[in-house]
Amino acid sequence: MPMLRGFLVLVLFYILGESLRLLLALPVSGGVLGMVLITFTQMVKGSVSEDLAQASQGLIAVLVLLIMPGVVGVFFTANQFSGQWLAVAVALLAGTFLSVLTTLLLMKALTARGVSDGE
Amino acid sequence: MVSELFARFQALPDTLTATPILAIALTLGAFFAGNWLFSRIGRPLWLPPVVLSACLLSGVIAVLAIDYQAYQQGARWLTVLLGPATVALGIPLYQQMHHIRAMWRPIVVTLPIAATMAAVYAVVIGWALGATPEVLASLAPKSVTAPIAIGITEQLGGSVPLMMGGLLITGVVATLFVDLLARLLPVKDERILGFALGLNGHAIGTARAFEISHTAGAFASLGMGLTGVFTALILPLVFRL
Repeated sequence: MPMLRGFLVLVLFYILGESLRLLLALPVSGGVLGMVLITFTQMVKGSVSEDLAQASQGLIAVLVLLIMPGVVGVFFTANQFSGQWLAVAVALLAGTFLSVLTTLLLMKALTARGVSDGE
Repeated sequence: MVSELFARFQALPDTLTATPILAIALTLGAFFAGNWLFSRIGRPLWLPPVVLSACLLSGVIAVLAIDYQAYQQGARWLTVLLGPATVALGIPLYQQMHHIRAMWRPIVVTLPIAATMAAVYAVVIGWALGATPEVLASLAPKSVTAPIAIGITEQLGGSVPLMMGGLLITGVVATLFVDLLARLLPVKDERILGFALGLNGHAIGTARAFEISHTAGAFASLGMGLTGVFTALILPLVFRL
């Protein structure tokens, strides 16, 4: 029961985010807006209820399960872009390698300096 | 008698796909089988459970000759939860707020640069190798979480299935590269690793970050959320140029 109560809160925040997105014609998804809203609400409240903590932990644990149906689609729509596979593969592999490298180096350099500022 | 039974057996998938329950059972089954297989083969980093599960699931769908559209329709009972699950990421975000506050400066500087470059590297490399504008538009949001990326791709005129494929590959290889580069550079700070996982590897990277620790997971949620919002706002503007 507590988990379902928490789930209701998450669903309500999602609906709130989705409504905001539609009303203001924002390019951001309702889920992300809901995430921002719920984070700010907790910050104002100053604590997270046990219900909400349980429900969010439960959902996060099955995140991979929720992406799987979309992932499977790759195998069934693969034929559409034959001929461009090399460009796609190299762009994804090399591009991701470079962007991970960029992120890690930037964060490493910036936090090393941050430590001497005494956080 | 036997042939009758066989005919009825052949009709079984169609009859069962009339309700979402078969799609749910298959997805859940593949999820647990993938996880089980993953731990049986010694938890290799280069083959995350999501890939194992997805391959098993595709195999079963192909063998049973279930129509992919019908499967997708049934699986909506699961995928619809992706919305509330995204909202749920706000909770660890709040719980780890003290860590995030301590690091706000590097985050604010890194995010716009890294999120922009994640799209730019892919588009420039793809363009240099002769990919069509439609393919480039599908590659651009490759580091953005699925629900936002779908919106961006449609806006840019890309192909959603191709984008989803790129998203999966990006998520998996981002996880691998973060683990690899963390050892080579070296970076040991869980907060940085989590942030890099979420920024580059969206939900797949975030799922991996939660395996490292709660703190890494919170930073991944932050990286994923910020990248999603930032890319959604910037990319349509940049692509118009």
